[in-house]
Order: sequence, then C-alpha cells, then structure tokens
Amino acid sequence: MSIEITRRNFIQFLVGCVAGIHATPLPWKLTDDIAIWTQNWPWVPVPPVGEFTHVNSVCRLCPGGCGIKVRKVDERAVKIEGRTDYPLNPGGICPVGMGGLQLLYDETLRFPGPMKRVGPRGAGEFANISWEEALKLLNDRIARLRKEGRPQALAAVDGNPRRSTMSVMVERLLRAVGSRNYLNIPGAEDLSSMVGELMQGTEAPVAFDLENADYILSFGCGLLEGWGAPGRVLNAWGLWRSEPFKGKVRVVQIESRASNTASKADQWVPIKPGTETALALGLAHVIIKERLHDTRFVNDYAFGFNNWRSGYGKERMGFKEMVLKQYSPMRVAYVTGLNPDQIVSLAKEFARAKAPVAIFGKGKGNLSGSLYEAMAVHSLNALVGNINRPGGALVPEPLPLSSLPEVIPDDAARRGLEQGRLDQAGSWRYPFTRSLVNNLTEAILSASESPVDTLLIFSSNPAYTLPDGGAFRKALGKIPFLVSFSPFRDETALMCDLILPDHTYLEKMDDVAWPPGLQYPLYGVSRPVVDPLYNTKHAGDVIIHLAKGLGQAVGSAFPWKNYEEVLKARAKGLYEAGGGLTRFEEGQTPAWKMVNKASGSRPGYKSFDDMWKQIKGGGLWYKPSPAERNWEGLFKTPTGKFEFFSSRIELAFSRAAEKRPLQAVLKSMGVQQTGDEACMPHYEEPRLNVDRSAFPLQMVPYEMINLASDWIPNPPYLYKSLFDTQLLKDDSFAEINPKTAAKYGLKQGDLVMVKSPKGEVRVRLNLFEGAMPGMVYLPMGFGHTAYDEFLRGKGANPNDIVHGPKDPLSGYPIWWITPVKLVKV
Amino acid sequence: MEKEHGHGKHQYGMVIDLDKCTGCGTCMTACAAENNVSVRPDESDKQRSIAWMQLFKITNGKEFPHTEVSYFPRPCMHCNENGRGHHVSPCVSVCPPTATQLDLDTGIVSQIYTRCIGCRYCQAACPYKARYFNWWDGYFPKGKGLERYLSPEVSPRMRGVVEKCTFCHHRLMRAKTKAYAEGRREIEEGEYITACAEACPAQAITFGDLNNPKHKVSQLIKSPYAFRLLERLNTKPKVYYLSTKDWVRKMADNYLPGEFKPVTKIGG
Amino acid sequence: MDSPLIPEGVKRCSPKLFFLWTLPWLGLLAWGGISAFLCLYKGLNQTNMSNIFAFALWIVFDLAVIALGAGAFFTGFLTYIIGKGELKNIINAAVIIGFICYSGAVAMLGIDIGQPIRGWFIFWHANVHSMLVEVSFCITCYLMVLGIEFIPIILENRQLDKVPELHFFGHNLHEIMAVFAATGTFLSFFHQGSLGGMYGVMYARPFAARGGFYVWPWTFFLFILSAIAAGPCFTILCTKLAEKITRKKLVPDRAVQTLAKISAWLLASYMVLKIADTLGWLYGIVPKAGLQFMDFYREGPYGVWLVVAELLICGIVPAIILMIPKAREHGGWLITACLLTCTGIVLNRFVFIVVNLAIPVMPFDRFWSYLPTWQEWGIGMAVVGYGFLLFSLAYRYLPVFPMEKNLNPVSE
Repeated sequence: MSIEITRRNFIQFLVGCVAGIHATPLPWKLTDDIAIWTQNWPWVPVPPVGEFTHVNSVCRLCPGGCGIKVRKVDERAVKIEGRTDYPLNPGGICPVGMGGLQLLYDETLRFPGPMKRVGPRGAGEFANISWEEALKLLNDRIARLRKEGRPQALAAVDGNPRRSTMSVMVERLLRAVGSRNYLNIPGAEDLSSMVGELMQGTEAPVAFDLENADYILSFGCGLLEGWGAPGRVLNAWGLWRSEPFKGKVRVVQIESRASNTASKADQWVPIKPGTETALALGLAHVIIKERLHDTRFVNDYAFGFNNWRSGYGKERMGFKEMVLKQYSPMRVAYVTGLNPDQIVSLAKEFARAKAPVAIFGKGKGNLSGSLYEAMAVHSLNALVGNINRPGGALVPEPLPLSSLPEVIPDDAARRGLEQGRLDQAGSWRYPFTRSLVNNLTEAILSASESPVDTLLIFSSNPAYTLPDGGAFRKALGKIPFLVSFSPFRDETALMCDLILPDHTYLEKMDDVAWPPGLQYPLYGVSRPVVDPLYNTKHAGDVIIHLAKGLGQAVGSAFPWKNYEEVLKARAKGLYEAGGGLTRFEEGQTPAWKMVNKASGSRPGYKSFDDMWKQIKGGGLWYKPSPAERNWEGLFKTPTGKFEFFSSRIELAFSRAAEKRPLQAVLKSMGVQQTGDEACMPHYEEPRLNVDRSAFPLQMVPYEMINLASDWIPNPPYLYKSLFDTQLLKDDSFAEINPKTAAKYGLKQGDLVMVKSPKGEVRVRLNLFEGAMPGMVYLPMGFGHTAYDEFLRGKGANPNDIVHGPKDPLSGYPIWWITPVKLVKV
Repeated sequence: MEKEHGHGKHQYGMVIDLDKCTGCGTCMTACAAENNVSVRPDESDKQRSIAWMQLFKITNGKEFPHTEVSYFPRPCMHCNENGRGHHVSPCVSVCPPTATQLDLDTGIVSQIYTRCIGCRYCQAACPYKARYFNWWDGYFPKGKGLERYLSPEVSPRMRGVVEKCTFCHHRLMRAKTKAYAEGRREIEEGEYITACAEACPAQAITFGDLNNPKHKVSQLIKSPYAFRLLERLNTKPKVYYLSTKDWVRKMADNYLPGEFKPVTKIGG
Repeated sequence: MDSPLIPEGVKRCSPKLFFLWTLPWLGLLAWGGISAFLCLYKGLNQTNMSNIFAFALWIVFDLAVIALGAGAFFTGFLTYIIGKGELKNIINAAVIIGFICYSGAVAMLGIDIGQPIRGWFIFWHANVHSMLVEVSFCITCYLMVLGIEFIPIILENRQLDKVPELHFFGHNLHEIMAVFAATGTFLSFFHQGSLGGMYGVMYARPFAARGGFYVWPWTFFLFILSAIAAGPCFTILCTKLAEKITRKKLVPDRAVQTLAKISAWLLASYMVLKIADTLGWLYGIVPKAGLQFMDFYREGPYGVWLVVAELLICGIVPAIILMIPKAREHGGWLITACLLTCTGIVLNRFVFIVVNLAIPVMPFDRFWSYLPTWQEWGIGMAVVGYGFLLFSLAYRYLPVFPMEKNLNPVSE
C-alpha cells in the first residue's frame, strides 16, 4: 500500500500537525522558556555575589580629603560612602567623591601601563613598553642633562597640594638633580599662605572656624560649589540650618551671579566681578567710621592701622586714613554697582555680629586669586578682632610633620641650582609667590628654543585647567620631552612622550596634609582599597627608583625603600608633637566643638609604631586645639603684630629699588599705586588693554560642585545631575541675563561664539535672571578633548579664551574677567 | 493637612529639608551608584536619562538681583493612595501584570523588573515623573570594565522595562538580616536608611518610619513648614519636604489665585 | 489567471493591474517591517517616545483604529440583534474593516511594549484593577470573535465553497452568527470603555482624570459612545472609498443612510455628554487641583485650538450635517461629515494620549512636545498598508458586497 502525496492530503497533514502541536506541551513550554530567556538576557550583566566587606580610606580627589568607606564584594569595590567615623565629613561626601569608582574601573579613562608615544602629540597613540624601558628612557634623559651641565632644563609641574608628601618628593627630586624649576599649580591655598606670611608672619594658610562663626561674609567663595574641604563645608552648611544654629547664623555671599551659594545664603550681595577689594575696604571704612572695630586689637596688636612714623621720622599713612579717604560708601558703591546704604548696613551687621568671619578664595579655590583682595578681606577679620577667637580666622601652627633630611647637591646639581627659576617666582618681581606656571609658559613661548628640555607632570592636567587662553598647550608643544605620571588619559598626558602611570587614589597610599581652611590640624592617609588593577606604579615609588638610578649623589637624597617609608618618616613629627588623636567615633563631640572648649585629648597609642599602625588603618590623625589664643606673640611679622601695612612688602620694594628706580619696580610688579597704599590692601582696576567697544561684555567662568573642573576626570554619573540648560548633547551653555540677550537680539538656546582677544568658544545661551547684566557666565569642567566618550567633546572650556593681565604683586593670572563679545552662529 | 499614615505596621518615609539642600547632586550620584543605574554617553536627553532621584531646579522668577534658585530632589514618592481614596498608589493600580506593588507592611512601592512588560502605563499615571523606562540595554561596553563596580544587591535591568526608586529596599533586607542574626525582631532607627539620605553632605535628607512616633521623620512632618508635592491630588506621598520660604512651598503644588496660605503662625 | 478564485458574476481587474495596485501597500508593509525589526532588535530607542511621552503615536493609532473599527461590532449589533436587515449589505465590509483594525492594533501593541516576548504576563499575572488588563482581555477575545465572523466570509470563496465540509461549516457558522455578534458587542463595549477608562483613572493627572460611576470614569462611557458614533462613519468612508476606486456601486444607499442616521444621533448625544463632561471637569476636577483651564495650554504646540477643533469643527458640525436628511443624502456632505467625525475621534484620542502627557503636573516642571521618528510612522503606515491589502484581497476574491452583482450586472 502506498500513500500518494497530493496537495490535498499534504495540507490536511499540515493542519493536523499545527492542531496536534497545540495539544502537546511544546508551545506552552516554549512560550514560557523564551519569557524566561528575556529575564536572563546574556548581555545584561549579573554582578557576582561574594563576601561583603568594607575598607576605610580617605578620598584624595581634591585636597579636601573626606573620609570614605568603600563597600566591597570579594575583591571588587562596589560603592563609596562617607565615613561617619571621620571628623571632617561625618557621613556625607561630595558628588565627585561619590562617583569615584567610575574613575577606578572605567578602563578607557586610564593608562593600563607605561607607554611611549608613537603618534603625533595629542593624538593619543601610544605603545606599551615595560617599566624598565620606560624608566631607562627617563633616566638617560636626566643623566644626559646633568652631564651636559644643564640639570635646570628638567622641570616639573605638580598638582599635588603644597603640603603633601608627594609635592615634597617631586621638589626634592628636582633639587637633587639640580633644578629649581619645580612648579606647583597655584590655587587659593597659595594665596592664603601669602596672606598669612604678609599679615600674620606665618606661612601656613589662614584657617577659618566656620562652624563656630555666626556671620560668614564670603567674598565669592563657592561654599556650595566645592570651596575648601567640601565635605566639611557642606556639613557646616547643614549645621547652620539645623538647631541650635538655625536662624542664628547668617551667610552673606558676595558674587555677581545667583550661584547655589548666593541663592542659598541668607543674603546675596551682587557686585561687579573683580571689585571685591573695593567692597571689603568700603566695609572697613564704615566699620572704622562708626567705631565698630576692635580698638584693643588694632591699637595694641596691629601695625599700620593708624598713621605711623618711619625710622627717618617721616609720617606714613595707615590703613585707617587710607580707607577713610579713599573708600567712602559712595565711591565704593560706584565701583561695585551696589548702593551706599547696602554697604553701610552690611558693614554694621558684620561688625555687630558675635563671631563674624570674612573669607576669600574664588569659586572652588582650585585657581589662583588676587593678593590685595585676599589681604583686604582678611583685614576685615582683623578690624573686628576676630583672629584666633572661636568662629574667627585662625593663625595656624604648621602641621608638625618631620622635615626630611637636607638634600646635599653634588657639583652637577649645584651648578643647576645656581640658575634662577624660569618662572621668576621669588625674584624681586614676584617676591612672595612660590610658583608661577603662567610665567614658565611665557618663558618657553618667548625663547627661540625651550629652556625646559624635560618636563615631568604630576597629578595635574595643566593643558586643560590653566586659565591662560591655551598658552600652556602651545608651550608644551615646544618642550622636547614630556613625561606624564597621570593615571588618566587627560589632555596633558595625550601630549606627552612618555607615560609612567600612577595608581588611582583607590589603589594607593598617600596623604592629605591638612584640608584647606580647616580650623584644626588633620592629617589623612589613604590606603589601597583594591589591588592595582593595571600595570601602574606609585609615582612616589617611581621617584625613589628613578633617583637611585641616577647615581649615588641623587640616590642618597632618597634613602627610603618605598614611598610608605617616606610617609612614615614625616609622620614621626606628628607623634613627637604629642597630643594627636587617631580615632573619631560616630556620635562623638564634633572636632569643631573641641576647638571651642579646650578638651584634654587622650591619644590612644603607646608608641610611634603603634600610632602609625592606627593612622594606616584609620587613615586619620588630628588634633583639636582651642581657637582662643593670646594675641601676644602670635604674629611672627617683622613688627611682631598683625600688619595692615605689610613691612615685608615695603622691604621687598626697597630691596628691589636698590638697583632700579622704584617706579620701574612697581611697574614690573604690576602695581599702579605708588605711595604707602602699595604696601596695604587697596583696589586697582585691572588694565585690560583691550578695546572695550569691540568686546563690550565680560566673560566670567564659574564652577559647579557636580562637575569636576580640576585635573580629575568628571565621573560620568554626574552628567545625570546636570540640567539640559547646562549641557545639551555636545553643547554647554553660557548664562546671560535676559536683558543682555534682548540687547543683542539673542534668544534662549541660541548657538553663539563667545569671542575674546584670545580666541572663541561655541556655546548655547541660557537666559538666567540670576546673571548680572553685561556678563557672560561660562561653566568650567566642560570642553575636554581627552578621556572617553562620556567626557570628550562635551561643551566648551572657558580657559581657552581667558585673557587678562597679571594680578599686581603676586603675578598670578587674572582669570575672573575677560572682555568678550557674542556672535550668533 | 492629612499626615496620618495609619495603614500597615511600618510606613517608611523621607523628609527633605530644602533649606539645607544645596543642590549638589550627591543624592543623585549615590542613588545611581547604589542601584546600578546605567549611565549612557549622552545623559543630556532628559526625556530618556534615568535618575531615580532627580533634582529639579526652581527659581523665584524675580529679576536680577532678586533672583533666587532652589532645588527639589525628587525620589519616588511611594504614594499611599491613588487620588480617589483607594489605598494603592496611582502607578500600582494601573500596572497590568502586577509588576509594581505597594507593600502594606513597609509602605514601599516595589518594582519587579522581570515581571514588567514595558507597557509604560505606570509612567503615564505618575504625576511626579518618578518612573523611568529602559530605552536601551544598560551601557556596559565590552572591554570598558564598567560592570566591575556593579553591586550584587540590586539586579541590573534589561531594556524594555520600567524602573524607579525603591527606597533602597535591599538595604531594608540587609538591616533585617542583620537584626535577625542578632536575635532582634525589629530594626532600630537609622539601621535602614536610603543611599541618598546617607550620602547627603548637608544632612538634608532624613529617613525613617513615619508610623513610629520616636523616629525623627514622624516629628519633622509635624512642622508647619512641612509639605508634600502635589498634595491636593491626594496621592498621599511618603516623601515630605521642609522649607521656610513661601515661594518654595508654593512651587510644590498648583494653587488658584489667592489660595496659597503662607505660614504665619509658628507653633511649638 | 486567478479567475477561478474570483466570485461569480462580478468583474475584477486584470491580475497585473491588481498586482500594481498592491505595490504601494506592500511598500508600506516593507517600511513597517524594517521599522518593526529595528524596534524589536534594537529596542524602543528607535522611536521618539520617552519617559514623558510613554504613550505616543502608536497608542494614538491603536486607539484611533480601534474606535474606528467599532463599526464592525456595532453594525453586527444592529444587523443581528436589532434586526436592521438592510445592513446585511454592509456587514461583511464592516467585519473585515473591524478585523483589520483590531489585528493591526494588536500587532502594534506587540511592538509598543518593551518586552513583547513576555507580553502574555498581562494575562498570567493579571492585575484586575488595571483598565489595561480589561482592554487586553477584551481585545484579544474580540479579535478571536472577529476572526470567527470573518471565517464564513472567507469560506464563501468560490473554490473553498466547493469543498462540502467547508461549505457545511461556513453555513452553520452563519446560522449562529447572532451569538457571536452578541458576544462581540459585549466585549467591544467593555474594551472601548476600558480604553477610555485608562485615561479617566489617571487620578493624579488632572488633565485626564474624571469622576464616574462605580469603577468606571465618565471617559469609559464617552469612549464607547464616540466609538459607536464614529465606527459607522468609518465603515461608510471605507465603502465609499472602495466604490470610488472600483468605480462601482457596491452598497445600496439605504444601508449607508441607515448607518449615517444612526451615527448622527449617536454623535449628537455624544457631543452633548462630552460637553457636559468637559464642563464638569472644568468646574470640578480642575479647580480642585488648583488649576485653571488655560494652565493646560500655556506653552507648546498643543493649544486651545485643539478644543475648538475637537468639539466644534469635528464634533458639533458633523453631527448637525448628519442629522439633516437632505445633507447626509448628498454625497459630498456625507463624506465631509464622516471625515470630520473620524478626525474628531482621532483628535480626542490624541488629546488624551499625547497632550495629556505633554502637560506637566508639577508646577516647576515644563511642557514638552513630541515628533515621531520614521520608524514610528513606519509601523503606523504598515497598518494602513495592511488594511488596504487585506481589504483589496477580500474584495477581489470574496463576495464582500452581496449586492454588487445586482447593482453592477455584468454584460456578456
């Protein structure tokens, strides 16, 4: 019997099959199975489970140094949290610190190991090399410079905070090699040090007892934008708005734009950017005129308040006469754009507060500022006698870290050290400034051949962060050999010839030597939270290794086996100073309260080794000490008093004038005043030397706490918190007042070029009522050309168009106002 | 103002003090890091970017120099009612496959990603825009290593499902497990707090049990300055805000002219 | 070539011409196919939908075609339950249009949800409180009913009819069609209502929220009424379009006029209730939420013009035209009125879906607007292409219009 296949029975067969299959479990099982498949798509990551642990460390993404607790699953770090057992930031941290794991684990942000450039500079084409080969390359280079008798052609640009052990190490390496060209990236802390030196006679930066103050007069400090130690300042902000301080603490923000700080402050005083000095002196005028100043302090513990007679019997002008003559509310109102009544009432409120404190340091404090301005602001603290009083400005003792043994330079090194610094910092032109990267840039650009042969770059990204209209980038192009120690593929590193990548902060041990502005000494030590992920090396160890390879003379300056030994050697001083604590417990009296009442502190360790073990484990040493200190003998100035009139400035003028006319000296220093006022904080309008009719507006860069603008890449999480009026696709926004927009026929969202004499950047416009008319506000932290798809090509970097003269006396660049115009695209 | 949260044993809730909030965005970052929220190369498309905790910027609308800025951090409100007096949040009642539920014992509105079919009805029903759809698969390109920081406590989501703030429910589980291991039946105040509350550097966020009179949250909501978002819709959110500024409080709800009553008398 | 398949006694164009006619519709289907592939393979990021516009073009299309497809159940109801015999001449067309609309809508929904593969969770883990569950159950069941209603029409094909078993099966199905018509009516009533209910129960969105009766918000009833008012209009439009294209009279005027008349009264009553509902909303829900009418139309492209267009131009005007016998007997006016009615219903659905979502509820939030991507249009247009194709095939091979032979005697 045969079955004949006809169309008919074939179709019947098929229908039968379809019907039959539905009677089997197959379709139902299949439906279920593919649904289960969608629940377990192989491309959706399943984080492996494991044992949960946590590691306590210290965040080193900014000098603030918050305590962090990193949650781990086996060997993976999965979350960063704030430490409640850390006195600086009880529990909270800033958004950048919160996003830190992305900087650790985002492989395309990082260098996987030592590398050598193979493509053109800036293209980011590198070839892997071994550490031996990499170190040999650099070693040979330095050895050759020494052999050729020009070790000073080795220079370093270092972004490590001034007091940190890493910065000491880098400077030491250069010194041992024979170069004085160690440059630290200038920031508000350097300015604060200069104020300390000139007015108080101590080089330690001025500290502020913010938590105990009841009136905070902030001259453009981005308290909520990341100023000082952000974990501490934001915590203080929360305290001021909590019982028992609620309603009793007044925060006044002086700033031209309605920033978060300005808006959240109790009072916003909008003044023209760059006129803060005039306002501070105007307030001083009212305080003195109304006799609201602390007469005991100004008469007995201050110098140069009243008129005085020089050794030759010549009558000299004092601070009082200067401000009374020059800074009437009427005149200051004209300069700052306020009205005179505002100035008078502000001065009265400040002077009548129980614990008023005036603070300085623009924005986050990552960038330099104006010296006379900082002095003017600090003179307000002195006027009301709130120096070394609870809630005031403090004259801190330096952190008692041991100094490392003296470097003994060999002959080769000595010849190099005899040469002056390329940036002229510390010379008669810039007597108080310790490094001036902008001057180094000028020196390289003006020479036919770069005086720097080899540049080492540590913990910084100057090609991106320097507010210089792109000049440093140009200078880099002229330097024959560039070496980056950055763990990240930043703009500067991409230009370098040799990459010696450091660990990230979560993979290494390093220190935080006194977070900026904190009222009590604190020394934090980070520790490796995870083992190094890649073939990177601690830059401190690399320095030791390098020095040893350079021969006995250089190597003997680094007698340590590794970097940890250096940290330990310095920490010895903390033990010797006595009285420090290495533990802070949750719920314990806050450290700032201990500042208020001197409480006997009982260290919980018996020996130095014991203490060091505890510091390594807990990452902490601190020493709360009473703020109240006798003014007698406090000031180490030449007069032994707080100096409204700086005798050091006067001395610097007269020394420089020995060889040249005083007029020329002042001109070189950029000081317009010629009389006694030049030795006191005073206001000078910067000479922009720009045709203001061609550039009628002013560009003011501003910082945001949720956008890293320093050398650290911005953790991608943070882009979630940016509004689409700050970043939209690849365009960042300039904020301008609607009135300014109307004047130039511009609308919300318009694409414009912001043009300055230095160049132009493309941005969109956001019309914001909180922007001062006539100003163009550009956010910092956008416009990266390096890193990965999260950061690259997003927005514009205002540093690219900054154009300004130098700050008088300090020589720092003036970056806070740049004449610009807007051209619609 | 109705502030009773009578249902269930515990009613976890949050109080955000807007006077303390600095708009820094740490809460958003902490939330995303805690809950494995995917970050895409372009997060500026605010219609599609995922942020369980989202900051909204507000201004008082005044001209320079009287302008003032403030922020509303907005997690999921974990509404107790749907606006018509039913004890179910607006999103829960509409979800077809029961992928989101209001837990009566904790007051937490949950979301089951593997149950969700991605119809997005819940998104349409939520007036707070607290629900987010996964328009893409999570961004974890091969060789970039981003999956290395993912926490095993929260499962990463596949594309095509809705996600939202869960009041860090896994932290409640963590705290409970610890309590049970220590032989306790109840967890203490502070043992269970959300990642945002923990991270806030200005301590603006307080978290706790609204039903427990000893918890700080249940005391804070008695303040005359306490309010909720869109209170008039009667969704009974368990997220409260505090602000002494009239203009900020007024922004939290819609008012007909003359309806808004500033706080004039401050009790206790 | 295909003449053995073509019904007896009618004239159809050549296979070649027919093939050419299908090309544009096949083109739309191909466009839709590519779009569907992209959306399923790459995900819904291929659309311009967002967390703001969680529902968008596709849902508008869905709700629109479902409302317009209501002609099927309603004509069935009138034919088999009420016994309007003259409608037997149009019922086949109505059923096919209904089938096209519902199957198209279900296919679109399958792409619209983020996890189509586990879409069946709606049934398995059903949340009985969700209007969408009710919608899904009813639409699925009703699509089956429509399929059953479609089968006898297919079996009337000349070749299939020759098979005795199929002939018998088809004949018997015809006999019990009233049962299915009743089931369909019941199901349709509920899902049309639930579709409206979906929006009315968004109690936390004052723009959509409505009061109501028991668990059903007023939109529940308004959506039913608007669908049965617009459905017949759409059926009329489709047959008129078929007549225009085939250049033949296919349906006796009486059937069309009956539908138009019924539609007129339904539309009129709908408009009365809709206006009452709008006023009730405006003076009840809106001020209670602290809002005023104009708060909903402050910014963006979705302005008050939508209200005027929906209620006046596409509501009251066609209702009046259709109510005047003289006007609705005039071909031009009839088509204009039907077009306006259908537009009005689509606008109504658009307002509840897109405009509703564009309006922020939090005072500090902002208005948004939305434009679909080509992929979204592709899926929508594919349904149009599919409709034309299926209807053309049905027309060519099935006796869709029973009176066609009589109205167009073929001269030998």
